[in-house]
Amino acid sequence: MEEKLSSVAKSLKPSPIQQLSLLAERTNAVNLAEGFPDFPAPSHIKAAAVSAITSDFNQYRHVQGICNLLVDKMKQMHGLDVDPLTDIAICCGQTEAFAATMFAIINPGDEVILFDPSFETYETCILIAGGVPVYVALDPPYWTLDAVKLLDAFTVKTKALVLNSPHNPTGKVFNMNELEIIAEYCRTKDCIAITDEVYEHIIYDNEPHISLASLPGMQKRTIITSSLSKTYSVTGWRVGWAIGSSCMALAIRNIHAKVTDSAPAPFQEAALTALRSPPEYYTSLRTEYESKRDFVFKLLCQLGFQAEFKPLGSFFIFAAIPETCKLTDVEFVEELIKQAGVVAVPGCGFFHTKHDYHDRFIRFAFCKDDATLTSAAYKMQQLVDASGRLRFL
Amino acid sequence: MLLPACIKSSLRITLYKPLRWNHIAPNHHSSCSNRRRLSVPIFRASSISTVSTAEAAAVMAQDGPTRQYPLQVAKRLEKFKTTIFTQMSSLAIEHGAINLGQGFPNFDGPEIVKEAAIQAIKDGKNQYARGYGVPELNSAIAARFHKDTGLTVDPEKEITVTSGCTEAIAATILGLINPGDKVIVFAPFYDSYEATLSMAGAKITCITLRPPDFSLPIEELKSKISKNTRAILMNTPHNPTGKMFTREELNQVASLCIENDVLVFSDEVYDKLSFEMDHISIASLPGMYERTVTLNSLGKTFSLTGWKIGWAIAPTHLIWGVKQAHSYLTFATSTPMQHAAAVALRAPDSYYEELRKDYKAKKEILVEGLKSVGFNVYPSSGTYFVVVDHTPFGLPDDVAFCEYLIKEVGVVAIPTSVFYLDPSEGKNLVRFTFCKDEDTLRNAVGRMKERLVRK
Repeated sequence: MEEKLSSVAKSLKPSPIQQLSLLAERTNAVNLAEGFPDFPAPSHIKAAAVSAITSDFNQYRHVQGICNLLVDKMKQMHGLDVDPLTDIAICCGQTEAFAATMFAIINPGDEVILFDPSFETYETCILIAGGVPVYVALDPPYWTLDAVKLLDAFTVKTKALVLNSPHNPTGKVFNMNELEIIAEYCRTKDCIAITDEVYEHIIYDNEPHISLASLPGMQKRTIITSSLSKTYSVTGWRVGWAIGSSCMALAIRNIHAKVTDSAPAPFQEAALTALRSPPEYYTSLRTEYESKRDFVFKLLCQLGFQAEFKPLGSFFIFAAIPETCKLTDVEFVEELIKQAGVVAVPGCGFFHTKHDYHDRFIRFAFCKDDATLTSAAYKMQQLVDASGRLRFL
Repeated sequence: MLLPACIKSSLRITLYKPLRWNHIAPNHHSSCSNRRRLSVPIFRASSISTVSTAEAAAVMAQDGPTRQYPLQVAKRLEKFKTTIFTQMSSLAIEHGAINLGQGFPNFDGPEIVKEAAIQAIKDGKNQYARGYGVPELNSAIAARFHKDTGLTVDPEKEITVTSGCTEAIAATILGLINPGDKVIVFAPFYDSYEATLSMAGAKITCITLRPPDFSLPIEELKSKISKNTRAILMNTPHNPTGKMFTREELNQVASLCIENDVLVFSDEVYDKLSFEMDHISIASLPGMYERTVTLNSLGKTFSLTGWKIGWAIAPTHLIWGVKQAHSYLTFATSTPMQHAAAVALRAPDSYYEELRKDYKAKKEILVEGLKSVGFNVYPSSGTYFVVVDHTPFGLPDDVAFCEYLIKEVGVVAIPTSVFYLDPSEGKNLVRFTFCKDEDTLRNAVGRMKERLVRK
């Protein structure tokens, strides 16, 4: 009956990474792979959800208040004027916001430009909507944008471009220069931009998070997607949004209405509390994540990784396996699990075009409790040679 | 990508003091909040506002008939209709009408289930769940399915949890239907079917179920099904008519599907709201499990429609497609609600008996009321909907009747034409719901008795 699957579903294979995942589970390894926290969500937000459930906010709903708060944020953070009644779609997480956006704008055959490496889900959403992903490689070690490569990627079929900043897996934050290049091409090629800004508040060293939509001529052609998940440590609540011009947002809302129709009601209520968190909340989020970043980055450098690029955003470090080590990323992670009892993600899953470096990177997540990070450090430090390097690195 | 779903399986289930299984939560709020709810009628979740009614009207108004999409928006949206619901919603707010249109309760779910969700939040179950479902929920779904159908399914390999049944339908269609595939649907149908099938590029063949009993036109099905048909999308108990497919009808569908090697996607969200006969899952018929995706959810059975917990049950070779599509639509489903859903699905039989009993009483109030007012009421065996013929009141079609009903009588019903491929097939029919507390139903009936005039 396999022929009954749709052609897209048939092309999807379970990744070798899932095998590693199972191995990690079996050996009870310290998990620096998963991109979600192992520390509790903020209590004021949990309390709001509990209160919503108790007060019977349990039927289908659309909480307009979320839109009003997002409008304030867009103004404050990016100087953007957004209409709360027409320009926003509340969805089940940024995942659904992105999927709905793809269905809303992609016709079969439309090309969509993506940067490589990138989060795996974008490509499949594009494929399911009948689109064609086109990759533009960012150049290691600093994952810089090559304007020529980007320009070359545009064809008459290019409909949209996806920008994830701060970036998963590298932790890169696209700077104003790079954004200007991207904006220039979007404008001249009349291309729609879809941004994934889920790590918008997880940004370090006083680096500003600039939304592509805030550049000249970009607001009308940009759809911003984001969510509560990473900012408020509630990845399991599934409340996200898409913000765009009113006709785009309407189209996205219409798709969303047929895909899930409503994001979970009590968590929409709790979102009101989350989005009203005081400035101190965001400051302390950044400060805490920054110190975790520093700790893990230093550790990886000591252990012998070629960690040239210190991430400016997100909670990932994309560390390079040194040339002297002959293991591939998958082999390395397997050793790391078996010998050190620590899990990370082989970088190959994030690369979509052949490079000679596609199996040379490992992604470590540091969105973990300090105790977890310390435990991981301890375990890895048991396996170092005289010079302090990991034996098998 | 390492799917961040390595949930430790050593989840401890906290035991609570057993609370009474009451599907109708005590109404903590006074009639004041009911009034607030009544004045904000909802036809789609996306048209609800919890802020001022003026804002709500504005949100809905902008969604209106002048739906001029610019060239940049995808062509598939041409099949997406929202207009009629929006018009009705604005009107209903304006006139303070009692809402028997919206398909969700104005009472809440059982305390024990809500407590379980609260406990899950407090226990820190707030991060990504395993994509295809939290293990204890998958097990609870399998156990319940076994109880209902006698079928044994593997919770790990044959169940995918989704954000409501709406998403289960979308994931099933996107995972199993190719552009150009022929899919048979029965009109009238839940409005996401047509939209989602068009997203997948399917070719829709529509078979209309007709009053008075909306029975399966078997000869028509025989003539329209062939070896080129990919799937049949069916819904039993049926929204909007309340029709339930009989064993004989299901046997007929089954034999045609087996003969022509056709899949069945069976939307069974109202399975626990079956009154006049027992619900039968087509998957339980001989030769059918291997070709059926059974779809269901928590919301209707437990009056928690806003939690968005649904699922698909199918054999491994079919569930793969559903699971994959789901992982790219929403990736994972709300974690604390899943834990609570696992508790809900272990409800004793008495819960379901009470549920049926309560809904039956509500149904009687509504049906008696509608009959006494002069509607031609069609028998509804299941769901919390009933369709009626409005023509005794002299309005030209269902939309006009619903507008009249809101403006002159102060009651909301849904025009059924939106549930048909050919809207004219629904012009004599409107749908009422009885998933409201008894006072609301009585008030609505009262208004209709007072103000609805037969021509």
